[in-house]
Amino acid sequence: MKNVLVLGGGTGGTLAANLLARRLAKQIREGRASVMLLSDSTEHVFQPANLEVAFHGADPSKYVRKQQSLLKGNVKFLAEKAERISLQDRKVVTDTGREIDYEYVVIATGSVADPSLTPGLAESSYNFHTGPWNAAKIWNALNRFERGKVVLVIAGVPHKCPPAPTEAMFLLDDYFRKRGIREKVELTFLTPYPHAYPAKPIAEVVEPLLEKRNVNVMTFFNIDGVDPAKGRVYSMEGDEVGYDLLIAVPPHRGSPVAIASEIGDREGWIPADKHTMQVKDYDDAFAVGDATNIPISKSGVVAHLQAGIVAHNVASMVLGVDGLKRYNGRINCPLEVGGGKALFVSGTYTRPPSPMQPTRIRYWMKKSFASLYWQMLKGRLEPLFDLYFREENGDGS
Amino acid sequence: MAQAGRRIIDSRGSFCPGPLTDLFKAYREAKNGDILELWATDPAAKSDVQAWARKTGNVVEEIVEEQGYTRIVVRVTAKSG
Repeated sequence: MKNVLVLGGGTGGTLAANLLARRLAKQIREGRASVMLLSDSTEHVFQPANLEVAFHGADPSKYVRKQQSLLKGNVKFLAEKAERISLQDRKVVTDTGREIDYEYVVIATGSVADPSLTPGLAESSYNFHTGPWNAAKIWNALNRFERGKVVLVIAGVPHKCPPAPTEAMFLLDDYFRKRGIREKVELTFLTPYPHAYPAKPIAEVVEPLLEKRNVNVMTFFNIDGVDPAKGRVYSMEGDEVGYDLLIAVPPHRGSPVAIASEIGDREGWIPADKHTMQVKDYDDAFAVGDATNIPISKSGVVAHLQAGIVAHNVASMVLGVDGLKRYNGRINCPLEVGGGKALFVSGTYTRPPSPMQPTRIRYWMKKSFASLYWQMLKGRLEPLFDLYFREENGDGS
Repeated sequence: MAQAGRRIIDSRGSFCPGPLTDLFKAYREAKNGDILELWATDPAAKSDVQAWARKTGNVVEEIVEEQGYTRIVVRVTAKSG
């Protein structure tokens, strides 16, 4: 019996489990293999919609589904929290004391955004990185806001979804224009990067648009702390900026189980081969998505593509056949610029993102991807995505 | 007084969000006097790190073109407090 254990019920874990169950269906039926998904939550959130909730007032509950309903019938689902992963012993211990042995493990335990890692930030700021209900608090705060300074600060890197903070500036501008109070609101974006977007070719497209919308951009701002009483944000180099409403991208860390199990670096990011996704020094352990230390965007599309690679590679090992696939570093992150237009930040390990103009069609492509999300998780759309994401230049080595 | 440290940050193969992400992570933990050595294949890294150093008051001590990557040596000098 070959037991495959998937840790984490986000995009990467859910898709990996379903693809493995599809590929190993015969072996599962005959009792020669099993696929189990372990998640500490019975619910699954479509995280990109947090921006819709925060800046368009969408209903958070629309973007949450039961985890079990997203899994194929032949995936065993266990809603317990993984407390320790022992890669040497091929064993995971849960919060109930249950010990789960495996032959192969896929670690998709994601990242945790934690405002308390920056002094004063938790007490002073709103964010759209800690769940849709916290994102809804931004919408409520915006609706109460009449005039003053709105500041958005990136309080740590890396963070989920590199386009999100820049996109949020455009959506804030849109929001206040629609309310007719834009001239009473000063919008400021504090970023540690040299540009309004980390990749320069994309920054060259969005910076003139931000300037046109009268959005202040302060680059190289490495936050040191916030004084909620004074309403001021401080940088490590002594700069300070006042705010009336503060929105933050909180510092991120690897999952608590990765940190407790000492399988990651100091911040809990798990070292993995950027092509095969195998955890360093292990051929039976894989990591996908936000959980890894791979130098690439922490985003849904990356988790999606890596899940496909890992499911293929684990299934090949279980079946004893050749043909490992390699992840090429493909990213494809939509960035909405307001006014119903969007662009995509697209690249690979060897093909840096190139400039792309925002269009209405790209905005609708973004919306289409979102509407396909729940179907995508089942693994049914992979042939379509394989075509869309096909690269001319191979595996990005 | 604590001894100055030297840290190598290997960001080769990183384009988006880029080597600066790795540099900033190390910078956050560094103290004045420390040396941070960034290895990058991203062609934007040289100009980005120099612009960052100019803005923040840290010092780029050396930029060396190695085989297939660039080595950028930074001395941390601008942290407050």
